[in-house]
Amino acid sequence: GTVTDQANVPLPGVNILIKGTNTGTTTDFDGNYSISAKNGDVIVFSYVGFKLQEFNYNGQQPLNVTLAEDTALLDEIVLIGYGSTTKQDATGSVEKVSEKEFNQGAIVSPEQLLAGKSAGVRITSGGGDPGGGSEIRIRGGASLSANNSPLIVIDGLPLDQRGVQGVRNQLNAINPNDIEDFVVLKDASATAIYGSRASNGVILITTKKGKTNAPLKVEYDLKASVAQVTDFVDVLTANEFRAIAETDTNFDGSLLGNASTDWQKQIYQTAVGAIHNVTVSQGFDSFNFRANVNHTSQQGVLTGDLYERNSVNLSAVKRLLDNDLKLTLTTKGILDDNKYADKGAIGSAIGFDPTHQVYNADGSYFQYVGQSLALVNPVFSLDNNNNRARNKRNITNFNIDYNLPFLEGLKFNLNAGLDYSELSGKEYRLASPTNPGGFNYENFYEGFNRNSLLDFFFNYKTDLTSLNTKIDLTAGHSYQEFFIKSDRSETETAGNLIARETIINRNALESYFARASFDIANKYLLSLTVRRDGSSRFGEKNRWSTFPGVSAGWKLSNEAFLQNSIFSNLKLRAGWGKTGQQEIGQNYGYLGVYTPGRSDASVQFGYNNGVPQYVNTLRPEEFDENLKWEETSQYNVALDFGLFNERLTGTVDAYYRETNDLLATIPTAAGSNLSDLLTTNVGSVLSKGIEFSLNGALARSEDFNWDMAFNATLQENKITKLSLGNDPNFFIAQGGISGGVGNNIQLWREGLDPSTFYVFRQVYDTAGKPIEGAYVDVNGDNQITEADKQAYKKASPDAYLGFTNTLNYKNLDFSFTFRGSLGNYMYNNVASDRGNITTVNDAPGQYYVNAHSSVLTTNFQKQVLFSDYHIRRADFVKLDNVSLGYLVPGENLNLRLSLTATNLFTITEYEGLDPEISNGIDNNFYPRPQTYVLGLNFTF
Amino acid sequence: CESELDLQPEDNRLTADAAFEEPGAYKAFLAKLYAGLSVSGQQGPAGDPDLSGLDEGFSNYLRLYWSMQELTTDEAVIGWNDGTIKDLHAQTWTSGNEFIRTMYSRIFYQVALTNEFLRQTSDKKLDARGTESNLRSEIQKYRAEARFLRALTYWHALDLFGNVPFVTEKDPIGAFLPTQIKSKDLYSYIETELLAIENEIIGARENDYGRADQAAVWMLLSKLYLNAEVYIESPQYDKVITYTTKVIDAGYSIADNPYYQLFLADNDTNGTQSEVIFPITFDGLKTQSYGGMTFLIHASVGGSMVPAEFGINGGWAGLRTTSKLVEQFPGEANSADKRALFHTDGQTKEITNISNFTNGYAVEKYRNVDVNGVAGSDQTGDFPDTDFPMFRLADAYLMYAEAVVRNGGGSEANAVTYINNLRTRAYGNTSGNITQSSLTKDFILAERSRELYWEAHRRTDLIRFGKFSDQGLWPWKGNVPQGKTTESFRDLMPLPSTDLGINTNLTQNPGY
Repeated sequence: GTVTDQANVPLPGVNILIKGTNTGTTTDFDGNYSISAKNGDVIVFSYVGFKLQEFNYNGQQPLNVTLAEDTALLDEIVLIGYGSTTKQDATGSVEKVSEKEFNQGAIVSPEQLLAGKSAGVRITSGGGDPGGGSEIRIRGGASLSANNSPLIVIDGLPLDQRGVQGVRNQLNAINPNDIEDFVVLKDASATAIYGSRASNGVILITTKKGKTNAPLKVEYDLKASVAQVTDFVDVLTANEFRAIAETDTNFDGSLLGNASTDWQKQIYQTAVGAIHNVTVSQGFDSFNFRANVNHTSQQGVLTGDLYERNSVNLSAVKRLLDNDLKLTLTTKGILDDNKYADKGAIGSAIGFDPTHQVYNADGSYFQYVGQSLALVNPVFSLDNNNNRARNKRNITNFNIDYNLPFLEGLKFNLNAGLDYSELSGKEYRLASPTNPGGFNYENFYEGFNRNSLLDFFFNYKTDLTSLNTKIDLTAGHSYQEFFIKSDRSETETAGNLIARETIINRNALESYFARASFDIANKYLLSLTVRRDGSSRFGEKNRWSTFPGVSAGWKLSNEAFLQNSIFSNLKLRAGWGKTGQQEIGQNYGYLGVYTPGRSDASVQFGYNNGVPQYVNTLRPEEFDENLKWEETSQYNVALDFGLFNERLTGTVDAYYRETNDLLATIPTAAGSNLSDLLTTNVGSVLSKGIEFSLNGALARSEDFNWDMAFNATLQENKITKLSLGNDPNFFIAQGGISGGVGNNIQLWREGLDPSTFYVFRQVYDTAGKPIEGAYVDVNGDNQITEADKQAYKKASPDAYLGFTNTLNYKNLDFSFTFRGSLGNYMYNNVASDRGNITTVNDAPGQYYVNAHSSVLTTNFQKQVLFSDYHIRRADFVKLDNVSLGYLVPGENLNLRLSLTATNLFTITEYEGLDPEISNGIDNNFYPRPQTYVLGLNFTF
Repeated sequence: CESELDLQPEDNRLTADAAFEEPGAYKAFLAKLYAGLSVSGQQGPAGDPDLSGLDEGFSNYLRLYWSMQELTTDEAVIGWNDGTIKDLHAQTWTSGNEFIRTMYSRIFYQVALTNEFLRQTSDKKLDARGTESNLRSEIQKYRAEARFLRALTYWHALDLFGNVPFVTEKDPIGAFLPTQIKSKDLYSYIETELLAIENEIIGARENDYGRADQAAVWMLLSKLYLNAEVYIESPQYDKVITYTTKVIDAGYSIADNPYYQLFLADNDTNGTQSEVIFPITFDGLKTQSYGGMTFLIHASVGGSMVPAEFGINGGWAGLRTTSKLVEQFPGEANSADKRALFHTDGQTKEITNISNFTNGYAVEKYRNVDVNGVAGSDQTGDFPDTDFPMFRLADAYLMYAEAVVRNGGGSEANAVTYINNLRTRAYGNTSGNITQSSLTKDFILAERSRELYWEAHRRTDLIRFGKFSDQGLWPWKGNVPQGKTTESFRDLMPLPSTDLGINTNLTQNPGY
């Protein structure tokens, strides 16, 4: 027979198999095939991109077959918050990233699975610490002082945006191995259903569940890794250092040693790690379950740093009443253990005199005893300072989904969630060896976080055939409360452990929400959402606000004029929505509260029998009784397209977002309130951008497949209003730096990106060398003052991109991911603070301090903190992830072997340690290591 | 559930109504008004700051006030690279200077605190709370002290900034824009307030140590009147005589102790307290801050100075003085005048590089050791016990003498006696005593510097004598080693550009 597609074009290479046997063949170039079969055989036709077809053979000859295109991709279910839709029916900017697209390797923190995979989503790890958190930004930040991180919802439970105390990263409670997919809601029409927490986007994480009618499956997965630091901060060698120290007018050679120690090499180690996952799953007709046990242990490259996770994750789904009632329980128990190395060692190692050895001849640590401002030997700090914490956490979600019997299409959904964690930690620091009066310090800390949720909604779906319209209606209610309690006892004076006052913070949110979606003639889509939110953080008259969203889509590919075109999918969509922000850190910002003072900040009121009497103080706190939501309006226009039977798909999104009544911590008018800074509603920010993503199946065949995914984001953020006044030059200094107290390198000012630097313009000599202290006299008053500083460049990128390739050849797979960033600048604070001769020669005591190597070229005598000389281009392209895998198939056992390398190389002209530091200030950065991972996966 | 959104503090924080159910809350709030001068927040030494626009240690009232009054003059330089701190001595500051800004913020924070105290202790509030009469009469005394502290702070505002925002207990707390007051009106307000509380506050030397009394009010009135020509272009020297006389007659005395003991860790008990009219108290364990005396003692120590001799664990190597102050003393660092407390070993008298601690003599005035050389109560050597003598009898003597010289009346003979009291202590004998012929304006200015240097008076004194900006020279004034004059508009500090940007009711001082 002949196999053709729906347009009657012959299909070559179609797989043909007689079911239950090894007998098979493929079609030739003209789509022809022949196979021997007997009556009653089932013949299976399969071809990539088309739906599988089975035929019962009853003597047909020839057997000509037409295969239908598989548009499964378009029918894929996508969560949208309190419900779901399909990819083809989504009208908001919603992107799903599934397991097969995740980053590979020994990934401890789940957000790293997503880095570089989604346009408009930028994930920047905070540094190289094991299990450390990341800055996640969807379309940049919508706010200034308030939280700029997206809302993260795990199986329907929104996490506390402030995190959980005592852990490096609260998302580590989610084992990356358990994640089925991420859905990123980017625009306001999509996020408005989350109302007051939706301005920075929403990430919905769905964890894996068992499947119905699936055989028992047991899987063991191991990822063993080694990681090491590949680059260090450039500091002077012992010889270079000595040469500069000797130029000191009061040079005292007895303060130098004879060694040549690279202190940075002394503090870093080769870090090993292992991630074990054992997963068991099985599915029956009405019940399925999945259970996972995880052990993760990851050393940090900073000696002594350690992250450990032991977790159990269970999910069970029970269907009752003829599948009309579905009960889902997911529960995770996590022991999150951290040993925090003293990160102060990073700065000490950069500055420590390289002529000294780590240890004295008698084996004791070399120290500057009696020089209380001197650096402490960093090896001593790492060896002796100990801070361990255990966080026991349970995240449980129970969901009831019930198809109500009296009305077809009406269902009720109830979700009850609890995220409870208990912290217990102990910190111990030996008395500072530089200060003879110092004492050993102990700090016992504990507390708990409780996040409880109850929400329910009704959903009604119906098909009005008379109007050729499908309708989907949802309405519900949600209540969520966050409770945090913290206690600590710490050493106040030698040997004297003091219990500090308990700190309690509670806040709550109550919400009503509704959504109506219409699909007319499978061509025109309309979705309306509204949420009404009340927050305990605002006074009664500002407590409630309403957040609407509307979006529409036009499925052009379903129009007659595009039938039989190259477009397998073409959809134009547009949306608008209003969202809010209430995550300002403080709970009683609208209410004047009084804070008692501690006894070490009391004042003397006379004597009683010659004994001084001290009175503890009571302080009224600043407040703004009119505090209210920050409101963001966002417009989004997009085009989704699929070509060549979805072999090439893509999306272009353009957005325009304006935030008003910005919650910002800004200076108050002097005298008007009870502090110099106040969190209040002031000003506006504007952001706009274009996001582009393209996915192509470059090769599709039985043995060889090649998928390529590319995404790029162009964005621009700026402050459009910052104060109640009209002064266009009004600014607020930002971006604290090292090298003197109270120094800032960035500013907020109208018309500028919030990460803009604020510096003097350096003057250079004819040879192109910077002239120390010579700056452009911008205002021409013949002196260089504050008034000559200029806004210059910014830390946020103009564009960023991700590029992933996945190749399969038979059982071999290979993938790699590049990430890049363009237009971002970095302030090299190590060079500005320490790249000068005074650093070496003018320590406030009897010792010398090492300098940054830039002093050898600049020859700067003093700190040059505010020169644009230290603002450098930090564009980069990074090979983030390369992975090679091989599947060894077996009768009862599949084995997959993989080898992954991460952070392999970075192409950049930035000379400091790392061009990717989220605030644009490079100072004592915990280096991101290069990691090699061996993976083994057994499936029974 | 909606009532679940009405949440109130559940830890030790309290709403105002809950806080004042406790009778001790009024005293605790009053203590906060005093603490506003000495510490930087609710936890020592740092961690829960009052102000958050600048590093907490730097935001301390005394540290900032001292920096404004001393770093801008011939008495002190600082070597650090903290922001624009060097612009203070160079007199090149702009309205963007964060130290000036934070001084201003600290002043208005203190004003807002005192206003809130007065609102919370109004008759109406006390009636509503049913406060019992004993406590009420106690609260009336607290109110007088609060008004004194507000007048003190407004005097600092007047002296430093001139025309400033003006708020009283009649204004609300919120996000409103205060109106600007002219310096003449502010002067009248301060005077009226002080005269109003003169007889409500506890009598001279009758209040607890550390708290303000009637003599503190008289002292502040004297300061206000002494500088009235600057503030309102109208001399009030007769009133200086009136009020300094009240102070002098109140029973304070110059103790037999040597001068240097006025500035030691036990200066509240070693005898020198007999001279102190209003101190800012510190304690190594109970009143901890990175500003105040912690700053003054640590920052003065560096080079070859031995920290242990100052009762501290290490110097911060920042503060020194210029040759101008050294030369005020006959014989300079080796003067027979024992008020010349200079450290010269390893130091040069002249300054070629301000950043280098060894350039310029160091000043050994403040120490955290007692008369026996024993360090203060904090074993770690971080936080001193030494109290700061904000107002003391010597200043009253010198103000009296100056008012006499400036034709305010009084007795020349008394003026000479008062000055000789100080000089006898300084020299240990009468060899340094003066006669009436020495009593000139120039002598008074120099004598004030010798007696009161590093006590936060110098800038005000130089301005009163017309020698702060367009007259008067000292090293590194104008940012040149030999010094150069600056423009006279610098007699007033600029209003911070941030507040001008926010508060559209404000007009900048001329010249900025």
